[in-house]
Amino acid sequence: MSDSYDDDEYMEEEEEDLFEDEVMSDDDAAMDNEEGDYPVIPDKDKPKSYDVESKSLSVDDVQKDMRSQVEYVVSVFGLEPDTARMLLRDYGWNRERMTEQYMEDPSKVLIKAGIEPDATSPRSPIRSTSSQPPKESSFSFRRSTRKNPVPDPVTESKFMCPICCDDEPPSTLALACNHRFCSDCWSQYLEGKVRDEGECVVRCMKDGCSLLVPDSFIKEHSSAKTYDRFEELVLRHYVSHIAHLKFCPAPGCTDTVSCTAAATKSALDTVVPSVSCAHGHKFCFGCSIDADHRPVLCKVAKLWVKKCQDDSETANWIKTNTKECSKCQSTIEKNGGCNHMTCKKCKHEFCWVCMGPWSDHGTQWYSCNRYDDKAAIEARDAQSKSRISLERYLHYYNRWANHEQSAKLSAELYVKTEKKMEEMQLTTDLTWIEVQFAKKAVEEVLRCRATLKWTYAMAYYLDKSNEKELFEDNQRDLEKAVEDLSELLESPIEAETIPELRANMTNKTVYVQKRNEIMLEDTAQGFREGRWTWNVDLP
Amino acid sequence: MDAKLRRLQKEIADLRADTASKITIELVDDSLLHLLGTFIGPPDTPYEGGTYEVDIVIPQTYPFSPPKMKFLTKLYHPNVSSASGAICLDILKDAWSPVLTLKSTMISLQSLLCSPEPTDPQDAEVAKHYMTSRESFNDTARYWAEIYAGAPPTEKKAGASNTEGEEKAATDGKKGKAPVKKAPVVDEIAAAGLNVAHVQQFEALGFERRKVIEVLKRLNYRGTNIAKITDDQVVEKLLS
Repeated sequence: MSDSYDDDEYMEEEEEDLFEDEVMSDDDAAMDNEEGDYPVIPDKDKPKSYDVESKSLSVDDVQKDMRSQVEYVVSVFGLEPDTARMLLRDYGWNRERMTEQYMEDPSKVLIKAGIEPDATSPRSPIRSTSSQPPKESSFSFRRSTRKNPVPDPVTESKFMCPICCDDEPPSTLALACNHRFCSDCWSQYLEGKVRDEGECVVRCMKDGCSLLVPDSFIKEHSSAKTYDRFEELVLRHYVSHIAHLKFCPAPGCTDTVSCTAAATKSALDTVVPSVSCAHGHKFCFGCSIDADHRPVLCKVAKLWVKKCQDDSETANWIKTNTKECSKCQSTIEKNGGCNHMTCKKCKHEFCWVCMGPWSDHGTQWYSCNRYDDKAAIEARDAQSKSRISLERYLHYYNRWANHEQSAKLSAELYVKTEKKMEEMQLTTDLTWIEVQFAKKAVEEVLRCRATLKWTYAMAYYLDKSNEKELFEDNQRDLEKAVEDLSELLESPIEAETIPELRANMTNKTVYVQKRNEIMLEDTAQGFREGRWTWNVDLP
Repeated sequence: MDAKLRRLQKEIADLRADTASKITIELVDDSLLHLLGTFIGPPDTPYEGGTYEVDIVIPQTYPFSPPKMKFLTKLYHPNVSSASGAICLDILKDAWSPVLTLKSTMISLQSLLCSPEPTDPQDAEVAKHYMTSRESFNDTARYWAEIYAGAPPTEKKAGASNTEGEEKAATDGKKGKAPVKKAPVVDEIAAAGLNVAHVQQFEALGFERRKVIEVLKRLNYRGTNIAKITDDQVVEKLLS
């Protein structure tokens, strides 16, 4: 499902580009409108009460953000920036929990994260009292070359890299755990982990050794490209663990959106966080169901989409091809044979034509003239009752799907409208700027259809109440206004009526926009006040 | 020389030198990148004494990526697909370390046969069988080991119902005129770890044997589970 939405977004984008080619800004249009007698179409970018506050961040902004977290830990505990970053990563960037536990038992926290406690601070004294040679615990990794005048304890006894089986490697490396391998194998390993597997947590090559490869080691012993990728992965790790940050899902977009209003799960009970990045890609901060499913909450939208996927085709088929047993309400498909039905479940025998019990039919097999029989009428009544819920669902589904379908045709509508705008220019002396009202109308219709679509999902789950009636009044007003405007968009262009059409369409656009705002504002306020009651238990 | 080939040569040479482990690795063709490994089923398991062949494909990035291994010999085990031989083992995936070798991996496979992990199954049907009725599972696994892995026939009478049925059917076959023809049909039931009587019960309703076996296998119609499954449920599945 999401795929098709992505496609739509693309198409819309392309179409917008088409218009942008004709150098023209909204400001010009507004100015022009002020001069004429037409109402000004209000600026759509002004923040509304139903919009959530959000901020688009560039890669640099996020990096700065991340660095400040690291710097905090560095300043509090006097750790190396590398170590601080590795620790925060281990704690999923939960700085509070990390600092708390670090204060309790620093070495436990370090070991858990896979960091050699001795290597964390350059100021810490060398463990000269340990049984190991002092050289081993002084630093997290050492490079030893064969030119080294002091022979390495390992190379002394004829070292062979256990990975490539080279017994004369030009140089070898080991982390603080002293698992030694040749440098070629190390860099191949790092490339593979970072570039192919996309890991930003890389451990020592020895199986079972959980020592983390320090960031500085990766920087020093892998290519610049690999290290860049590593930094990118760390950044991704950061964004994915911070609740108020999310990457823009648009392909190729590198923006991150920060939205504190929708950072917690409970916040999603009262807000519908439709956000957009600095590049104008719209998406929902709370879910991936639709870029903008206002006015309905993420979880309600999810419930609805799931129901539609599961049910709508089945429900349609059931409606057209089956009847319910008049006794136990099992759904029955008649796929041949006579009208004498025996319910497989409750063994009730009835007539498929009149739904009355078969026993009343006596010997009149294979024909039924008892349609008005009392028992048969009762049976049919029960039948229709059981169909109500199905009908109800289909009512909302069909309207929802209808608006969705209309939105899918948006690209076509844009092209058609553009043609019309050209035609208007040719037949009258209106300028390109002056015919922009048509494009504005199309944009508004599409936006409102998106709203309308989701109002049906909401209405399906709303409890029957006065509130719901008011909601449906708003919905009806908006729907009527949208349909009027749509019709106007379809109307033929005639030179003499163009000024009238222009006035009419601009008026209607403003009206539709107002209706849409009322709809969204009222529902958003309803969520804040807890005014809506649902006929299902929300998860 | 290529580090990967150098290492593979050494690994293969080491394995040839080591006769104690009873693990062999042979080249399939001229390349070192496609190998055939064998090991012996570990003692005190249903797989005891069987010879298990493993297809090994070495990736270009070896030893930084794990070798691709799958069983060529069919075996009845929760972590091995009974159809394709695919293996579910952590060191063949994300827990791989470049320090691990073909030999250590083969040893891991061997120990996987000793201690199945039914909670992380590759073959859900086999895992269900393992969880519900261990004894019946062991019989089936042993049966597979005997017919597919060439494990020596067991002396002790495996008391479970399915082998009983098998023996009965086998003796029936000897009395009849065409004993050879009947044997593979019985194999199928025992190989699925089912009871001959159960299969015949539903066969009698007019369903094909193959279908009955398939459905009963899917429903895990074994041990204590049988009491939980009604005949209607089985028939419903058979009809669908």
